[in-house]
Amino acid sequence: MFPVIDWSLVSLEVLISIILVSLVVVDIVLPKNADKDWIGIFSFIALAGLIIFWLTQGSLSGTTFSGMFVMDSLAWFFKTFFLIAMVFVFAMTQEFFKSLGERRNEFYLLLWLALIGMCLVASSADFLLLFISIEILTISLYVMTAYLKSDALSIEAGMKYLILGALASGFFLYGISFLYGTTHSTHFSVIQSYCQIHAMSPMTLFALVLIFAAVGFKIAAVPFHMWVADVYQGAPTPVTALLSVGSKAAGFIILIRLFFSIFGAWHAEWGLALAILSAITMTYGNLVAMFQTNIKRLLGYSSISHAGYLLMGAAAGTALGASGINFYLLGYLFTNLAAFLVIIVFSIATKSDEIADYAGLSQRSSLLACTMLLALVSLAGMPPLVGFFGKFTLLMAVIKSGYIWLALIAGVNIVISLYYYLMVAKRIYVDPPRHTAKIIVPSKIRLLLVIAILGIVIIGIFQGPFLDAAMAAVQGMYLSHL
Amino acid sequence: MFTPNLSLILLLPLLGLGFVCLVPADKTRLIRRIAGITVLLPFILSVWVFAAYDHVAGGFQFVQNTPWVVPFGISYHLGVDGINSLMLLLLGATSLAAVLISESIKERVKEYYILLLITIIGTYGAFLSLDIFFFYFFHEVAAVPVFLMIAIWGSERREFAAMKLTLFLVAGAAIALIGLIALYLSTGLQTFDLVTIQQQLAQHPLPIAVQNWIFPLIVLGFGITLTLWPFYTWAPVGYAEAPTAISMLHAGVLKKMAAYAIIRFAIQLMPQAAHAWMPLVAGLAIVNIVYCGLVALTQRDLKYILGYSSCSHMGYIMLGLACFNTIGLNGVVYLMFAHGIMAALSFALVGFVENQTKTRDLNELGGLLKCMPFIGTCFMMAAFASAGVPGFANFVAEILVLLGAWDQYRILTVFAVLGLVITAIYLLKAIRLGFQGPLNPKFAQLSDASTLTAKFPYVLLLALLILVGCLPTVILTHIGSSTKTIVESIK
Repeated sequence: MFPVIDWSLVSLEVLISIILVSLVVVDIVLPKNADKDWIGIFSFIALAGLIIFWLTQGSLSGTTFSGMFVMDSLAWFFKTFFLIAMVFVFAMTQEFFKSLGERRNEFYLLLWLALIGMCLVASSADFLLLFISIEILTISLYVMTAYLKSDALSIEAGMKYLILGALASGFFLYGISFLYGTTHSTHFSVIQSYCQIHAMSPMTLFALVLIFAAVGFKIAAVPFHMWVADVYQGAPTPVTALLSVGSKAAGFIILIRLFFSIFGAWHAEWGLALAILSAITMTYGNLVAMFQTNIKRLLGYSSISHAGYLLMGAAAGTALGASGINFYLLGYLFTNLAAFLVIIVFSIATKSDEIADYAGLSQRSSLLACTMLLALVSLAGMPPLVGFFGKFTLLMAVIKSGYIWLALIAGVNIVISLYYYLMVAKRIYVDPPRHTAKIIVPSKIRLLLVIAILGIVIIGIFQGPFLDAAMAAVQGMYLSHL
Repeated sequence: MFTPNLSLILLLPLLGLGFVCLVPADKTRLIRRIAGITVLLPFILSVWVFAAYDHVAGGFQFVQNTPWVVPFGISYHLGVDGINSLMLLLLGATSLAAVLISESIKERVKEYYILLLITIIGTYGAFLSLDIFFFYFFHEVAAVPVFLMIAIWGSERREFAAMKLTLFLVAGAAIALIGLIALYLSTGLQTFDLVTIQQQLAQHPLPIAVQNWIFPLIVLGFGITLTLWPFYTWAPVGYAEAPTAISMLHAGVLKKMAAYAIIRFAIQLMPQAAHAWMPLVAGLAIVNIVYCGLVALTQRDLKYILGYSSCSHMGYIMLGLACFNTIGLNGVVYLMFAHGIMAALSFALVGFVENQTKTRDLNELGGLLKCMPFIGTCFMMAAFASAGVPGFANFVAEILVLLGAWDQYRILTVFAVLGLVITAIYLLKAIRLGFQGPLNPKFAQLSDASTLTAKFPYVLLLALLILVGCLPTVILTHIGSSTKTIVESIK
């Protein structure tokens, strides 16, 4: 008997697949030497349509495909998140390949594929589907990372990412197999009921560690962070942006599902471990970031430290911690994408990602300088910008759960991170420019920069509705343990 | 009957800030004019608030309360009592003077005023908020603008000074934030509203063990901003290298936010812990007074003298905080006001001198009274005020603090009085070397502040010092109405 499928729950994934397939057809039909970036334009229109459609679907909930696919408030929140992120990434891609001029069409297709992967990750309720969706996401990221065939750094980045990513996938499968061995299922709900009855055994602990290693690879937590700096630096900048926001967020949904629902009953066992890992991750990321001279590497290490801050929410193990993760990621989306938009425009104009070349940016383009300043200050967590309230929520979560020492370490980290962010801000605003030519910002990017700035400032000041959304996403979560 | 609307004090400058952002960068005269109006209006409102505050009724007045982030119990809650109405007045006068003396800034004028206005708005917000979250929020708004202002418009070692100052202050703020969150969580009230927490904790104080670890976090965190020894090293270099307006605002007002926070959030809410910890702070305060005073004696740079002097005077504020009696606490609030005006005035004057002579080194200066009699006279009066000469506000404040401290800390008070003597020595030395004696011939052509608009900022601040010094009741009634309730709750 074939199970009944509720197609309305998977509407987003189905629509994205249809778009993807039709774009493939368009790509074949289009003349090879077409000047206009048709695929890019179609992608934009399709994405705009999808966002409008998706915002009306907030009330979707339920499971389908025999319970493998779940649509709940958490999935809705994160799919909205991915769609918004994709708008920025598509715009970055258009700019990026305008200057490169070749083979851009396949890149758009890969981006759409990555989007399907991320959306499926958000909706997985079974380890097998989760594994497949992670692979869809990661494999498209491998290809995109190594996309610049003539650039040695890009190839090297792709290779590193592929090898370490394959290792992580191996860990993940190995972990699932152990879990299956003990619980006789890969389904989240079955494993959750198992955890509620049984205490943690060495075998399940081993499985949990292996699975966490794979997730830690995605979110770039120490000690699974080795790939970050080189890949961030070598990958085409739109991919770096996607890695730092989309891929990290995908990792955190898995983390939320793992630790707040499936293994929620074992909080006492993993809480402290996550807290220690969080402290090490944020400290390592910040300490190493201090010595970077390349802006993409700097943001790479900074992204490791942010994974550390976000892990505080997981360590807290409460609804407040999970909402804190959601809110923080929402702020991180606008903040980090704003920074990468500036990096793209700057690198197209100057062919450089070196921080030293950012000297005097404020006199070459006040919009770029202002955006970068706001993004960096928000990453550091200063009010009235969004990064402050995110850190505030997470600090509150860990203090509430009794990890005062973790909060103090986070406080020290905020100071360390402020140092290197302000060093970049100093370059931009204080140092004299090496070249005085003005940098012209295309009007579409200008619009996105303004949107990102508004996101950073408005969410930072009017936190209420966004915090409510972040909390609602957790409260309506499938199999919630909170 | 009209009552002042406190939100206007925030919204009008925000509007002005918006206008400044919209004006093209080359229209500097227009920008200066808008900035002037932008700080004048909240100053007038602050005077109105101060005058309209009913000190007989006491308590928080002109209250506005709107829920902001409901799940956390954060609300946009504004209101003033005797203490913060006085702080508003201090900020209003200082910020007006700071914007007016910024005429001397010629480079990147637009960015300068934008950053300066953000700093001022943040500080207004902190003094108006009756919500602990929003106090912290506004208090931190100033951090990055101050960094940029020092790094861009400061003097020689500006980048080092900016980074040092910012990192120290943010480290302090982060520690204090953890303390404040812990306080919020341990009340169990699910609200950041100061008034609610005050009422609750007055009835049911927190367990002593909890108070004893939250209290030091808050006091240490804000103590760094208040240049508590040994965490004061950011201040002299920071104030020396900063542009004049920032030295004025920071030494005059921003630092006082920390004292304000310690009174409101630490001492009043956790009185038992205060009795246990504050004697230690009093001891450190004496080190502040004597040690920083002695260091100031050895300085040859006018701004460094003022910087160390400012650290030394914070010792009196901390000593007064440790007294737990009305007279001492009155003295603290009085001194916050008096020192704020005095510090702003002295930094403004030194800024004027530096701008004219391009040096602050006492070895090069000399005889400046001959070429700038007005500025020189003002500086002498500011120095007298600082040394606690009767007739100026600082005298009243310091005598109150010393009287308050006498009962509790006899020996420490003797050292505190010694500090006043040290202050007199280094300031008289500065006057003798800088303003008296033979005039360095290369300064013979320098001009004084001659026009009325140029003199106005100094006159305004000096007038406040003398007025409040001669008629202490003008502000003591306000202060007394609020300190009374605080002292009752900590007895």
